[in-house]
Amino acid sequence: MSVRELLDGRLVMVTGKGGTGKTTYAAALAVVGAAQGQRTVFCEIDTQRPSAAAIFGEPPPFEPVAITDKLHVCNIHWDGALVAYLTRMLPLRRLVKAVLENQVVQRVLDAAPGTREVAFLSRIGQLVEQYDLVVVDMPASGHAFSMLDILRSALDLFQSGPVRKRAIELKELFGSEAARLAFVAIPEEMVVNETIETHDRMQKADMFGGNPTCFLNRATLPSLSDDERTLLKRLWENEAIDGIGREYVRAGLWEDRLEQATAESSERLEGVFGEPPVMVPPAAAGGVPRQAVAGVAVHLARQVGIARRDLPWI
Amino acid sequence: MDLNAWLDSTNLVVCVGSGGVGKTTTSAAIGLRGAVRGRKVMVLTIDPAKRLANSLGLKRFSGEGQQIDLSALPEAKGELWAMMLDSKSTFDNVIARVSPNEEVRDRILNNRLYRVMADTFAGSQEYMATEKLYDIVHSGEFDLVVLDTPPVKNALDFLESPGRIVDFLDERVFGWLLEPEDSRGLFGMRIISGAGGVVFKLLGLVMGAEFLNDFKEFLSDFKELYDGFRQRHDAVMALFNREDTQFVTVCAPTESSVDVASFFQDELGARELPRGGVVVNQIHRCEDASHDAEGALGAPAREMAGDLDEKTVKRLLARLGMAHRRLRELSEAEHAMVERVRRHARGGGFYQEVPRLDDEVNDLKSLNLVGENLFVENAEEL
Repeated sequence: MSVRELLDGRLVMVTGKGGTGKTTYAAALAVVGAAQGQRTVFCEIDTQRPSAAAIFGEPPPFEPVAITDKLHVCNIHWDGALVAYLTRMLPLRRLVKAVLENQVVQRVLDAAPGTREVAFLSRIGQLVEQYDLVVVDMPASGHAFSMLDILRSALDLFQSGPVRKRAIELKELFGSEAARLAFVAIPEEMVVNETIETHDRMQKADMFGGNPTCFLNRATLPSLSDDERTLLKRLWENEAIDGIGREYVRAGLWEDRLEQATAESSERLEGVFGEPPVMVPPAAAGGVPRQAVAGVAVHLARQVGIARRDLPWI
Repeated sequence: MDLNAWLDSTNLVVCVGSGGVGKTTTSAAIGLRGAVRGRKVMVLTIDPAKRLANSLGLKRFSGEGQQIDLSALPEAKGELWAMMLDSKSTFDNVIARVSPNEEVRDRILNNRLYRVMADTFAGSQEYMATEKLYDIVHSGEFDLVVLDTPPVKNALDFLESPGRIVDFLDERVFGWLLEPEDSRGLFGMRIISGAGGVVFKLLGLVMGAEFLNDFKEFLSDFKELYDGFRQRHDAVMALFNREDTQFVTVCAPTESSVDVASFFQDELGARELPRGGVVVNQIHRCEDASHDAEGALGAPAREMAGDLDEKTVKRLLARLGMAHRRLRELSEAEHAMVERVRRHARGGGFYQEVPRLDDEVNDLKSLNLVGENLFVENAEEL
């Protein structure tokens, strides 16, 4: 789906192979959502080094803080998620306190399969109740799958009790039309493989509310004419050209390969996602984290008809 | 530092680093080099790029070693073997191996909790890698073993994974959970059974009584595996600490990979594990700073244009000038980035950059070329 449709959801989960820029895109989508007037929160999950610190200027706490009027950020860590989860599930404050004060109980909750993931997802669900738009920087592809897949296994694992009840609610939310997935890829074979593989696994497990969106980061479309490419090839194959001359030929070949890779990646992704990926040129996503988010946000904002000057925070 | 001599005196190389930095290629190149130098080598790998796997004749996750046909490379006098790891099947094998009897084994393998945990248990793939490694080293069949570790999020997860399972089983809290009525402690019956009682009630409230009973059952079975895991853990750690074992940190000139590499170096140092060196892959080289494509290539380009018109020549030259400028910028940025890891890794063995090859590394010849770029006589010592 287009950027506009993606942001029509209440919950946007962004995933991708490590190093593709998924955090940058998640943050940029949150900025654009806020610019559209939606009360938006950008969240990271259980990360030791929250990127939001480098992007928005301060390490985000568990409870969302306002960056601008409409744009909030938070970091969903285990301690906070556990408290929020227990507070929601246990009828008495006294019991929550008793659980939190008991080391043994904490250890078991930490180690028991599924509890962590359900607590994280539960917190996301809670934020969806409080905000117009929740944008989550999900773990990298395979880990994002495992996290969402817990909702399925939780129904199997927990035959009764509060976890089961919450898992059923969450499964409904995460599988609904309001929940959307976005993948971030770059034009490299292994990255595209992993993106497609994760997409297919998620589709098979019925994890999509709507059709997911794919962003192709660092995309450069082919720009050499056939004649130019022919000449480049002749120069490349001429072994008499060496030293500095060869360096120029190599530079041209390097860019042409990147461009070809974009075209190939885009075609493969289109085959799986049913529409071409949203392409963003390398220049947009360059620089330090803050610049990169601003650059991508400006690029994506244009697609929903918002000009740079109307973006908050930038 | 002569890297060939370094390799000759090493019997186990463990390649660590984040994903996408060419770790698999480096592992394969090290293995091939060993074979070229006449040794019998096994490379344990996780997920090689399809084309490389195909051209080496590695076709499936068989969990068995396969000998690679080296006839295309007559200078290779030794043998090269490779094995692709498949985490799922082996975790069940581990359970089977460490189970005291078939009954316990079957109970665990069929447990609902185990099925979920085997998939999501943090580090299970890493655990498998160390398992297989141990088996292969101790088979005594190979002169050199190269381990290509799975890309991990948190530094040396794969090293810790056997320990984590041991810790998990060793936690006294699970003893309490499992045996709330155990009265034979120094502190007497009331305290312990009291703690167990409260724990059970609270956990029951949070997770439901049925789950808790399942979990308890699972843990009591799993606990019987403790000795098996413990022994294996100690043996693997001893292997990593051997004098002829060397860790090689692999990275590429990207922000995140350089950070991870620095972190790995710290962790290896902190654990006093043998740091063999740092390999930086995929470096773009670009020396000229004039960006004058016309001057560098104008004459040969016109000579070779043949049927192509002057406009094409001009446009291509202009384009090459721009591409060269961008490549130069990239190369400078990369240089600054790798400088960080180099400064950071002082005392951490050798440092060697391997330039990005013009063609994809997908056969023995190109793999050997990577090896030639890596195994130099005068590598920098950190």
